Amino acid sequence: MSMLPIASMPTVRRHARDLLGRFRPQIIVMLALYACASAAALVSPWIVGQFVQHAVDGTLTASTISHLTIALIAASLSNTVMNYLARRRSYVLGERVFATLREEFLAAVLRLPLITVERAGTGDLLSRTTNDIEALNRTVRFALPEWTVAIVQTLLTGVAMFLAGPLVALAGLVALPLLTISTRRYLRYASPGYTRERIAYAMMFGSISESAEGARTIDALRLNRRQSQRIEGNINESFMAEMYTLSMRLWWFPITEANFAFSVAVTLFWGGWLYLHGYVTVAAATAVTLYVVQLTDPLDRIVAWLDELQIGQVALARLIGVAEVQDTRPHDGEDPRGERIEISDVRYSYREGHDVLHGVSITIEPGERLAIVGPSGAGKSTLGRLIAGIDVPRTGAVTVGGTSVADLPLSVIRTHVALVTQEHHLFIGSLRDNLRLADTAASDEAIVAALRAVDAEEWVNDLPEGLDTQLGTTGHTITPAQAQQIALARLVLANPHTLVLDEATAMLDPRAARHLERSLAAVLDGRTVIAIAHRLHTAHDADRVAVVIDGKIAELGTHDELLAHNGEYAALWRSWRSEASGAS
Amino acid sequence: MPLLPYKELPYDDPGTPDLRSPARYLFWVGRQQKWTILAGVFFGVTWMLSQALLWTSVGAAVDHGLQDHSVRSLVSWSLCVLGLGVIQGVSGAIRHQYAVTNWLRATFRSIQLVGRQLSRVTTAAADAIPSGDIVGTVAMDAMRVGGAFDVIPRFIGAVVSWLVVSGILLSTSVKLGLVVLIGVPALASLTRPLMKPLHERQRAQREVAGQLAALGSDTVAGLRILRGVGGEDVFFANYTDISRKVEKAGVAVSKPQSALESGQILLPAILTAVVTYLGAHEVMNGSLAPGQLVAFFGYATFLTTPLRTVIEFVIAGTRAIVGARKVLAILTIEPPLTDAGVVSLWPTHASNLHDPQTGVTLARGTLYGLVTETISEASELADRLGRFVASEVSLGEIPLSHLPLDEIRRNIVVSEIEPRLFSGELRRELDPHNVRTDAEIRSALSTASALDVLDAAEAGLDTVIEERGRSFSGGQRQRLTLARALLLDPEFLILVEPTSAVDTHTEGRIARELRDARAGRTTLVATSSPLLLEKVDEVILVRDGHVVATGSHEQLLLTNPGYRQLILRGDE
Repeated sequence: MSMLPIASMPTVRRHARDLLGRFRPQIIVMLALYACASAAALVSPWIVGQFVQHAVDGTLTASTISHLTIALIAASLSNTVMNYLARRRSYVLGERVFATLREEFLAAVLRLPLITVERAGTGDLLSRTTNDIEALNRTVRFALPEWTVAIVQTLLTGVAMFLAGPLVALAGLVALPLLTISTRRYLRYASPGYTRERIAYAMMFGSISESAEGARTIDALRLNRRQSQRIEGNINESFMAEMYTLSMRLWWFPITEANFAFSVAVTLFWGGWLYLHGYVTVAAATAVTLYVVQLTDPLDRIVAWLDELQIGQVALARLIGVAEVQDTRPHDGEDPRGERIEISDVRYSYREGHDVLHGVSITIEPGERLAIVGPSGAGKSTLGRLIAGIDVPRTGAVTVGGTSVADLPLSVIRTHVALVTQEHHLFIGSLRDNLRLADTAASDEAIVAALRAVDAEEWVNDLPEGLDTQLGTTGHTITPAQAQQIALARLVLANPHTLVLDEATAMLDPRAARHLERSLAAVLDGRTVIAIAHRLHTAHDADRVAVVIDGKIAELGTHDELLAHNGEYAALWRSWRSEASGAS
Repeated sequence: MPLLPYKELPYDDPGTPDLRSPARYLFWVGRQQKWTILAGVFFGVTWMLSQALLWTSVGAAVDHGLQDHSVRSLVSWSLCVLGLGVIQGVSGAIRHQYAVTNWLRATFRSIQLVGRQLSRVTTAAADAIPSGDIVGTVAMDAMRVGGAFDVIPRFIGAVVSWLVVSGILLSTSVKLGLVVLIGVPALASLTRPLMKPLHERQRAQREVAGQLAALGSDTVAGLRILRGVGGEDVFFANYTDISRKVEKAGVAVSKPQSALESGQILLPAILTAVVTYLGAHEVMNGSLAPGQLVAFFGYATFLTTPLRTVIEFVIAGTRAIVGARKVLAILTIEPPLTDAGVVSLWPTHASNLHDPQTGVTLARGTLYGLVTETISEASELADRLGRFVASEVSLGEIPLSHLPLDEIRRNIVVSEIEPRLFSGELRRELDPHNVRTDAEIRSALSTASALDVLDAAEAGLDTVIEERGRSFSGGQRQRLTLARALLLDPEFLILVEPTSAVDTHTEGRIARELRDARAGRTTLVATSSPLLLEKVDEVILVRDGHVVATGSHEQLLLTNPGYRQLILRGDE
């Protein structure tokens, strides 16, 4: 379920034009160099024509040979030099264009509204970041330069043909109709085949990745055979996809190649006939025939790169599509006055007609500890996300200090309310970078103070390079509990007055959790806390407990009040503290 | 479909490769597909020769048609050009089919071997090689192996056509013949000095580009946190920084890259100039016809193709050796545990599972709770009990090492702390061996309190799970994998922290259901949840590597302060 848009083809073309427009001077110089190189390459057939003319006329002398050969060498040398300069420029330009594209893409990714990130998940975005950038890499760095050379060469060869012998050159055009028709048909049928190929390969790499990463589960559940059969199924699909595109090429290649030969044969015959009837010189007939042969290579490359250009176009559409996500959040809300959070008659639905929250109202005073408990799927996490301003209620309002969170820009909200989940991510980068993201202006002292507050100072001091230690998938490995402490230290730096904790200490082993709870306590101190409770002792410590069942607050009160009320919460508490009957 | 019949891949049996060295491996792969290689060689030679002979016809048309003023000759030689063009087109297409076939067979055979090896040695491969590298081996190195077999027939075609062209020239002029015979290999070797800096810079470029890709994926993976906590600017600056480095590295590649490409223009041009110069002199002396000079010029330009093919062959060959080495790194991994010591079958009569190291004994038919100070202690015990590591664990009197591994896996299922979900249809992922009815699957989901996950899935049991089940929350994944473990219904089931990510309500429901679901079977649940522990028959408390107490949850709470502290944490 992709929620991210894909740009339309007119948008892609406009974007490409704008981008290339920014590099107009470089492009003009590059094209001029390519034109010079191609022009130099056109000299040799003309010289061969001169050789033949002299030979036929019987005027070939040693000095003519030397002059013509020197001209031949000079032309080849200038072709080589011009080509080198042009290629270098086009590669450099390709690098620049590609760098611009990927940087603009990442900027768009980093601007995505939080709600889009939450809903779309990272799958689609990740495949754009990896696969589409890689596809564009080939297009921009190789296909476009190659294609440009080929077009310049084709055009100039065409011009040279008509200059050398306009009458003879007419025959060279016989290749065009069939080439155009067969290539159009080929692209129409082959392009979906290449898409299928890419998907098949991606699935195969996915299965291999699952086999490697899930090795333990595969072993434990005896999935070995199934997994290798799966990989072999992927191989078969990739093979069939390859066979399809192969079959497309197998009718297109012979037509193209025979077509080229056809135009050479026709030119040869037509030029010869014209010569025999005295309309043209033997030099013209020879040179044009050689030009037609020489035309084969760039024409071949023009059509061969079309696939790659199409792939690049699709990739580009997916990359610039990300920039089309509109941040619907208005940016003109008044700054909140105070820290009170009011939730009034909030309803919310993921799917139309299926509300998960049915009119929830509650006011949370500054400094209060509220625990939200209830069964899975009751809407606890949804409520948490509405309070943190990530999502906007369908009806009703969530306000912080009198201002609706829906009206606040993300950069403002996160200085007021932060959502803490069990998800913790260490970014590739230094420990300092990992913390400074919460407060880009933080000094090293402030960072160390934050680490001390979460009780992490000790192990951080033991790190090989202190704050400069590289973390993340490619760096120094730390325990999940330590990663969680870093997440908490980020909160200390971000310093919001309200925290929404969504099962923040789950998935940790008991001893680490105890340690972590101390760190957490330090962070919570002096803040409003809304804890979506995982373990009931969190509820026991809270000022008030809200029991959410089926999208409604079923019970609300202090721990003792709810126990006295003897409802859902009381029953749960008793079963959790079963020892209450036996032990105390 | 393709012009010629083809054999569908994968192979029923990819064979037993020669693992002694990369070169031997490549040779072995080549031998498996010698007929398609030979066919590729035949059509490769035909294709290249028809291109070379095209020039013979053009030359003849000039000499016999134009110079002799014969329309008949002109027509027949033009038809000859056309005929050669058709031969070139058809043989080129067939050659292409064999090139693709050779590439696919070598590549997919290697991938198939890697896939089977991964399934055979599982964790040993994952321990030895990072998963990213394993995927890289398949995505890049296996294809490099294939690349060699794509280019070999063309390379032989290039060599043959070079010899034939040299022969044609030799028959008219020894001097010209020798120039081509010696010139082509000499010129090809001239490009070698350019290749080394190119490859070094390409490698450097790929390295930073890889870093950038990792940074990009990493930023996306942590995007929720970045957008939630802030720091987008810092990350954008980091990304831009490395992005510029990639650009720089790319610019550095552009120098040798452009030089190599321009060299491929210059070198044949030198050959052409020399041939044309010498040929023109022969024409002047009368020993060569003007049309033959055109043909000679054509041969010299044609030789660009074999020249490039030779260069390509050198590059592809080097890469194939590198690729084969990476493939072998995976294929040579040996599984840590084998059935070498097997002397008996799984016993039909009930007996206890015993770990001498800790003193833990599991009697058949009992539901145990295991409490340890750290999760890793519990995981290590589970690894021994399930024979994921060599140990002294025994089933009754029989050491586990005397039993076939497959039987052990069938009868003792260990569900580790975060079991993986795989992509596929939900039904098959819950019941991978395809032995349960939908009703049984629903019942297991009910035990694991995961029916809500099923209800939310758009197509019920037919829903396709995404890779790693990433569309589910941590708690949902945990409940689904619990249901999957229950559906295996093994004699012994060992669950490590099966409810760590689910909320208290749900945990309570699972605790109530688990006992009935495992009635008559042996179950060990490593947990610190009082809700689960109060439902088990016996709690085993392990401290400092040994069993220190056993008994019911209530008993231990009363009698063992250490237990009480571990379970109830600091909230008394």
